[in-house]
Parts: sequence; C-alpha cells; structure tokens
Amino acid sequence: MKFKGKSWSMLSLLIVMAIVASACSSNNNNAAGSENGSSPSSSASAPSESGAAPSKNGNNPVIAVNANFITLDPHNTSDTLSITGARTMYEGLMGFDDNMQVVPVLAESYEISEDGLVYTFKLKQNIKFHDGTDFNSEAVKVNIERILDEKNNLRFRKSFAKVSKIETPDAATVVFTLSEPYNAFLNKLAMGLMISPAALTEFGTDISKHPSGTGPFKFKEWVEGDRLVVEKNPDYWQQGLPKVDSVTFKPVPENGSRIAMLKTGEADFIYPMPTEQVAEVEGDGNIVVDKIDSTIVRYITLNTMKKPYDDLKVRQAINYAIDKDAYLKVVKSGLGAKLDSTMSSKTQFYSQQPAYDYDVEKAKQLLSEAGYPDGFDAEIWGENDSESVKGMQFIKQQLELVGIKLEVKSMEGATLSDQINTPATPADAKIQMWFVSWSPSSNDADGATRGLFSSTMFPPAGSNTAYYKNDNVDKWIEDANKATDPETAKTIFADIQKQIWADAPWAFLGVDQVISGKRNNIEGVTVLPDGSINILKAEVK
Amino acid sequence: MNDHSTVMGSGAPGGREQAVVPDKPKNPFGQFLRKFSKQKLSLIAGIFIVMLFLVAIFAPFLTPYNPDTPNYDKMMAGPSADHWAGTDEYGRDILSRLIVGARLSLAVSLSSVFIAAVIGTILGLLSGFYGKWLDRLIMRGSDVLFSFPDILLAIGIVAILGPGLLNVVIAVAVFGIPSFARMIRSVTLSVKETLFVEAARSIGAKDSRIIWRHIFPETVPSVIVNLTMKIGTAILAASSLSFLGMGAKPTEPDWGAMLSMGRDYLSIAPHVVYFPGVAIFLTVLAFNLLGDGLRDALDPKMKN
Amino acid sequence: MGRYALQRLIGIVPLLFIVSVLVFMFIHLIPGDPARLIAGKEATLEEINQTRVLLGLDQPLWKQYLSYMKDMFQGDLGNSIRSGLPVTEMMKSRFLPTLWLTLLSMAWAVVIGVVIGIVSAVKRNKWPDYAGMLIAISGISIPGFWLGLVLIQIFSVQLGWFPTGGIDSWKSYVLPSLTLGAGIMSMIARFSRSSMLETMREDYIRTARAKGLMEFVVVGRHALRNSLIQVVTIAGLQFGFLLGGSVMVETVFSIPGLGRMLVDSISFRDYTVIQAELLLFAAEFILINLVVDLLYGVLNPKIRYADN
Repeated sequence: MKFKGKSWSMLSLLIVMAIVASACSSNNNNAAGSENGSSPSSSASAPSESGAAPSKNGNNPVIAVNANFITLDPHNTSDTLSITGARTMYEGLMGFDDNMQVVPVLAESYEISEDGLVYTFKLKQNIKFHDGTDFNSEAVKVNIERILDEKNNLRFRKSFAKVSKIETPDAATVVFTLSEPYNAFLNKLAMGLMISPAALTEFGTDISKHPSGTGPFKFKEWVEGDRLVVEKNPDYWQQGLPKVDSVTFKPVPENGSRIAMLKTGEADFIYPMPTEQVAEVEGDGNIVVDKIDSTIVRYITLNTMKKPYDDLKVRQAINYAIDKDAYLKVVKSGLGAKLDSTMSSKTQFYSQQPAYDYDVEKAKQLLSEAGYPDGFDAEIWGENDSESVKGMQFIKQQLELVGIKLEVKSMEGATLSDQINTPATPADAKIQMWFVSWSPSSNDADGATRGLFSSTMFPPAGSNTAYYKNDNVDKWIEDANKATDPETAKTIFADIQKQIWADAPWAFLGVDQVISGKRNNIEGVTVLPDGSINILKAEVK
Repeated sequence: MNDHSTVMGSGAPGGREQAVVPDKPKNPFGQFLRKFSKQKLSLIAGIFIVMLFLVAIFAPFLTPYNPDTPNYDKMMAGPSADHWAGTDEYGRDILSRLIVGARLSLAVSLSSVFIAAVIGTILGLLSGFYGKWLDRLIMRGSDVLFSFPDILLAIGIVAILGPGLLNVVIAVAVFGIPSFARMIRSVTLSVKETLFVEAARSIGAKDSRIIWRHIFPETVPSVIVNLTMKIGTAILAASSLSFLGMGAKPTEPDWGAMLSMGRDYLSIAPHVVYFPGVAIFLTVLAFNLLGDGLRDALDPKMKN
Repeated sequence: MGRYALQRLIGIVPLLFIVSVLVFMFIHLIPGDPARLIAGKEATLEEINQTRVLLGLDQPLWKQYLSYMKDMFQGDLGNSIRSGLPVTEMMKSRFLPTLWLTLLSMAWAVVIGVVIGIVSAVKRNKWPDYAGMLIAISGISIPGFWLGLVLIQIFSVQLGWFPTGGIDSWKSYVLPSLTLGAGIMSMIARFSRSSMLETMREDYIRTARAKGLMEFVVVGRHALRNSLIQVVTIAGLQFGFLLGGSVMVETVFSIPGLGRMLVDSISFRDYTVIQAELLLFAAEFILINLVVDLLYGVLNPKIRYADN
C-alpha cells in the first residue's frame, strides 16, 4: 500500500490538468474578446516571421471557404462555390452587381423586341480571352451552342432551352430568338459565362482544368481539395483592375479552423463566417465582419397531401406556434431576418406578406378546430449539418408547447435526397415535414417559385416537397414567365406569393444573412446575396 | 504458438490485445482480487466506473433540472451556483444533460461492445477449433473488415441502415468484431493443444461440449480484458460518428452529440464543449485503466 | 520462407478480387442517387436521367461491375463521377499529404511510446510507471477532433507557433501529427511496456543478470532488442491503418488527404472514387500485413512458417 498516496496524487494531477487546460483556453479566449485591438500574440509574432508585411500573404490574399471546388467548367457548375471560382476567370454578356441585379458585362447594350422573343446584344470591343484570341459574336455563338448540345449534358442547358436561333450579323452583334417569351432570360445569360472557343477546341472536356475566359484573373493552379490559385490578368479590359497579384482559395471545412485561420492571418477573408462566432470576433480590431441579407430562405415544407397537414388550420397553427424571433436568436445567433414571403426580399419580384405572428393560444385553438386539441405525433426530416440539426431541435421545442410531439430525423444529404425522390407519386410519399433552405441560383422569381410550388414539380420531377397544388398558382406561374412587360410579371408574382402565403404549405422561418469575415486591411472582396464571392475589386491596404 | 496471425491479432486500433492464457490457479478469484488490488490506478478507475454506473442508473433522480427544457433567456451561461456546468445553446442545464447522457453513452458503448464480443468470440472459437477452410474464411473475412478504415465502415452502415440509436450500436459493434475474433482464435489454438482438451476428446466428448465446457472458459479472461478496453474505444467511435453528423440522435443528450454540436461555440462558450469533453475523457480513461489492471491481474505471466 | 512469402503474395489476388466485389456491392447498397446529386437541386428529371445514362448507372449492376473490372485491368480507374477528373490523378495528389501525416505521427509516437514503455517497465509499479501509463492512456482517451480543435486554439490562435492546417510547410504538419499520433503513442507505450516485462522474465535475461551485467546493459541490450520486435509489428500494422487517412484529423486541419477525399466522395456517392480508394486501402493493408508477418519471422527465429 506504499504507493497509495502517489496514485491518488496522479489522479488528482490528471484532473487538475484537464481543468487547467480548459481554464487556460477559456481565459485566453476571454482575453482575446475583451482586449480590443491589442489582440492575440499571433498577429504580433506574424510580421517577424514573414518580413514585416502588413498582411501575412502580401498582395496575394487567401480566401478560406467551406467546401471543395468541384469543377471549373463554367457551363457545368451546380454549386455556388464552383460558380465563384468560374466567375474569377470568366464573364458573361450579363452579370450580377453586388445586389444581384442583372447588369451588362461583356455586352455594351441590349434590346428586347416588343413580343419578348428577340434579344439583340451589342458587344464590347477589343476584349481578348486569356489565350489571346478575340472575344466576338462568333465566340458567343460557339459557347451557347456548346451549352445547348445535348451530347455535352451540361448543367446550364435547361437555362437556354428556349433559345431557338442565334445569329451573328457582325462581329459585335448577337441576336437570340426564343421559342416563347421568357423574362428570366437575362438572369440566365448572366450565368452563361464565355469560354475561349480556341481553348474549347484544344481541350474539349478537359476545359475544366485549363480555364480561359475574359475575366480579371487568369488560371494559375488548381490542386483538387487543397487550393485554387488565380493570378492577375494584366490585360484586363477594365482599367486599373485587378489590384492584387493573385488570389488563393482554400477549402477549410471545419468552422473552428476557418475562423482560427482568420484570427492568425493565414486567411485574409473567410466565407461563410459561422454565426456563432460573429459576436466574438467583432471585438477583435483586426477583423471586420460583413453581413448582408441573402437570397437563402429557410423553411419547413408541410406535406399538404398527408394527414393532418392537409388541413389548412393545422398548417396555420404550425406557423403561429413558431416564435420567429426566438428562431433567429437561438439558431442564427440573432443574425438574419424573418421570412415574410415565399422568397427573400433580395429576389426578383418579391412582395411582402403579413406575418404569422407568434401566438401559442391561436395555434392551440386552430389545432382544436382542426380536431387535434391534444396535438399529434409528427416527424421532421433534415440534413445532418449542425445548422439543420440545431434548427430542427428548436422546432421540436416550439411545437411541443402546442402539443405536437416531433421526432427529429437528421439524415446524410444523399440519403435524404433519396428518401424524398424515391416515391413516384404523392400517395407514396412518406415525408411529413422537411427542414430545408432554398436559394434560386440566378435570383429570378421563377427560380424561386416554379420548382417549389408548381404541381408539375412534385418529387422526383422537382422540389415541391409540400406537394402543394393550386390551379391558380400553376396558371399564374406560366403566365408570369411569358409576360413581356416586367410590371405585369411583378403583379402576377405578387398574386402568387399572396396565395401561397395564405395556403401556408410551408412553415416560414427566416432569411439568412451571408456573413463573411476579413482582416481589416482587405477591401473590395464581397459576398453576393446568393453566397458567391466577388473578388474583382479585391485590394490589400 | 506457431501461427503467424496471432501477431496480426494484436494490431487492432485502440488497444492492445494479447492472448491471455491463464493456468489453473487454486483459488482463482482470491488470487485475482489480491493482484488486482495492487493496481492502484485501476482500482480508482474501477470505483469511478461503479459510480458512473450508479449515476446512469439513478439519473432521473439526480438531475437538478429537466435536461430537455430550454430557456432562451439563459443561453450559454457559464458555470454558476444555479447551473454548476452552465447552460447550453438552448439554455438547458448542462449538468443534467451530462447525467442523463451518462446513461445513453454507456448504453451505446456497452451494448455495441457486448454484441461485438459475443459474435467475435463465437467466430474466434469456431475458427480456432476447426481450423482449415473455416478458419481461413473467418480470418480472411476479418482481414477484409480490418482493411477498411473503421469509421468508413460505420459511415457506410449508418448510411445503409439510416440514422438512429440502434444503427449506431450496430455500426460500432461491427468494427469491434474482428479484434475479438482474432484474439479468441489465438487463445483457442493454444488451449486446443492442452492436455485436458486432448483428454476430453479421447473420451469421445462432442465438439460442441469441448468448445463450450473446456475452451470457452479459458477465453473468458481475455474477453473481459478486451471488452473493458473496447468500451472506451466505442465511446470515442460513437462521438466520432456524431462529429460526422451520423450520431445516434442529435436531440438526445449523448456526450458525443453534445461535444460535436457544441464545438462551434468552443471559442465563445468553452464550457459547452469542455464538460462533455472531460466526461468522455475521464470515462474512456477509466475504462482503459481498468482494462490494463484486469489484464495484469488476470495474466499469470505477469506474476512478480 | 521464400515459398511461404510467394504463397501469401499470390493469395492476395483472390482476396483483392473478393474485396472488389464486396466494395462494389457495399457502395451500391448505400441509398442515394449520384445522378441526382450531380445534376443539382434545380435539375429536371430528364436531365437527371440523361446524367444517369451518361454515367452508365442505368445498366444492371453486374454489367457495371464487369465494365469497371475491364477498365481496371487496363489500368484505368475511371473518372470521378462528380468532377470528371481522373481518379488516379486525384489519388496521387491526395496520397502524399496522408503519407506525410502518417510518417510524422508514427515517428514521434514510436519514439515517445517506446521510451515511456521502457521507463514504465523498468520502474514497474513505481510512480514513473503510473505517470507513464497515465500519459499513454490519456492519448487514446481524447476524441481526436476535440484534441485537434484545442491544439489549434492554443498553438495557432493564442501562441501563433504553428499554422492551423493545410500542407504548405513542415510546420503545417506539427499539430495534425500530434493529434493523430496521440493514440498510437499510447498503444505503443502500453505494448512495449508489457513486452519488456515479458522478456525481462525470460531465462536469458535472468542469466544476464546473474552474470552480474549492469542493469542498463541488461535492459538496453537484451530486453529492449527483443521487445522491439513486437513494437515493430504493432507500428507496422498501425502504419497500414493510418494510410487510410484520418477523416477527423484531415477535416479539422484542412489537409487534402485520402480520408477527407473518401468522406467527400461518400457524401456525393462518387462510386468510382470510393471504389478506387477502398481497393487501395485493402491492398495497402494486406501488403503491409504480409511484410510485417515476414519481418516478424525474420526477427524472431523462434517462429517458423509451415510450408503447408
């Protein structure tokens, strides 16, 4: 028994170690939070290592993102990050400004015929692709034909499916003729980026690894999974741009690590900035947090063809039972807005609707009227990322107060997609509620409506997982698309939003903010409402 | 032992598995107690584990608050007199969740290790006793199972079976099977050569009887040691699954889920992560220490 | 011996074949439709179906398997379903970071592990033993992702000594290999302790002691050498495991290694990549296993392989 004392002391030492470790880190963090400006030692020691530069990375800023680039073929992207990558090197006839409004880029001007069928573009002159070849009307034609060629099976084909004819009367003019009016066409053109025809001929399907566009940056290297580096295009047609020598994108999937990189200066800009940490870094003088409203809406679809959600009162009750302010506070750390229509205020033709204000009594009353005075058992599906899990858990807590006992089923994305898309008919669908988000990739009202609410878009054909069917809405969606006058389209979309809002096929939750963090010496890097990053005007001060 | 794969048997991740073949002591239990009580650290670990089990069993009576009741006005409050371990991102009492979580974490790890032990032991006994093609089949099978990163196997299983407590148990169990199978096989091989098995065989005892009555008891110490050590591994594996979003049930206060959900708050409210982290650390540590002590006490070769 | 090695080597072929069948069935069992995942959330049904045809996923499973095997025998592992990049190329660029991470983790884990093991064994049941074993067991008691995040907080953010991750320089690998090596260190420490204790009871050690050799000579020259054989075995096997890449460590430290690639490809049901990677792991593991077995035989003359 001689070592009894020793082993006790070892065990207590261990516990002390654990506590010290925890106290140590938490103290340090508190210090970082409270001592404004004087900030962690890392930034103090950094310059001595890298030669007293204002930024660790000099005039070559590093941007940390949360996913991998999948492809750099601008006609075949379906994820926002790959679109970001493509847009650093490529441009389209049209493009998006920082508010996601469509503006001319490679087009000098455009004209739309009275019947909405003929779009005539005048192109900017003297623009060259990175490989030195000219950008002209022929190049536009080659690109659109590539997209339209069924054999290529490119993601963007459906965006241009209504194009029936492309003519090039001269090198600076392109004329598109559509088979029917399509008022989202300019948005689609903003997505259709122009590749050098010479490069296309040379590399064919390998174009993803040899990008050549007209954009502000040229391709330097892409190490799949590690980094994408683009360098300054010295011959860029916009004078004085770009202002940095190169930009490096790095995928950093773990939130904590991404934010650590920003703190240490290894990254100059990060997106997304985890909402949980915003409050903390806002106290750090070296870091600036940018927040703008996004086009990403968060909601819960309610299967309107399944009991008890087929009853409007039940759907309304669920909407009243959720405290949207608490949702923003708990799930979004207070960063975001309530969703007050079927789309974000940043999306084309948005029209505000009257809120379903939080009212537990009203919710209970509606439930009794519907025949469920004691509530019912329900199931909610969602992905297994921490945001969704957190959100679903919150919804569970909220609905419990009106007697709805919710079981949370979080699934891996691909499994969930399979569960949702396997049933061939609404009758087979097992889905009750789905905690999900949506953002229309080209920010047009059609993209925020048709796939989600048209009865032709029940899974597996589309994403109408509420199995929402309203004949008026179906008809209006068609009408709106063909309306040649934007004002008419706007009125129709207002009706659509009003009707859907009243029918409540969703529990409407919130609109995300896109939040990015940057070192204070970085200027001009912006995140668009759809979550794509624009580095055109990036600058290191 | 003239068989090479005993070497491989000791290569499992997370723990040392060595064949423990005891001789026949006169008073095995007394001897065990005498030896085990010498292992101070293990003794303390054992007491810790007993207490943990008591906490898990009486959890509903011990929680100061309802572990599921949110309080949105008191989110992520640090430790205080009211909430000894602070509150989490929904304002729930972390201590209460840890107490209820002890139950869940122990249940998941114990049941998955137990399943692995039963299946692994049966396979190991059959493989070692019958040898030949059956042995090859089972051993090559466990080679194959071994050759995949364990977490991948778990991801695959959870993906196929869907999320849920039971499926996590199965996933964690599956990658524990080969280590048990290999270890028990090597014990079986050596016991098979011993005199009393020969004797039983010569008087015409049935195979099943020989395996069950003569060989199986000899493997028990090894099983117990490996079982104890694997519990720690299982707790960690379950928490890794939570990290990848494939954990049991995100709404339940499972320690791994608490840890992985809380990691986004590491820099603003560290207590949300540290308490579950320390709970996991101490528990796994205790099981490993206990396992080490048991091995030393049960292994006759370790006599001083 | 030689014949035995050859036999084992030949035995690998059918094993790999079985693995390939199992892997193929396994990944197709996982629910999920790569065509839909690749086509994106706004895709039309027609588009999804066309994608499926282009990828050959509309064919019966056995046909898909046959064409896969046919390509493989021609040395073509195919292109990633998701990105269209050649799988071989992707694996090449992912292999190196994982290899470095593995080597560095093993290196420190073996050195520290053996030292702790020896000290613990020599000072058995005294305080250095307890301390050593506590350190060792702590190493396998901490969830890897947690340890990683805490190390980043302390050594990157607070102290600024090491980068938070990536693969830019040797410094990037310090924290990840500390995290990954912790578990192996403890395993090796425990293993070398017990095998030291075992060998120290052997007759020849007693003889050496009886001859009056100094204790450190006994420990250093005799006991250590023999227990090292087993340590080599364990280390080798761990090496095989680690080459599969550590999902956790690679994610936390943003290392573009095999583990992360695997998880990414699973979440997109990128069949070609998953298949290729799993086959690589199986082959690596089996080969290392074989080498370790043979090495064990060479180092320890007591073991003879029966040429059955």
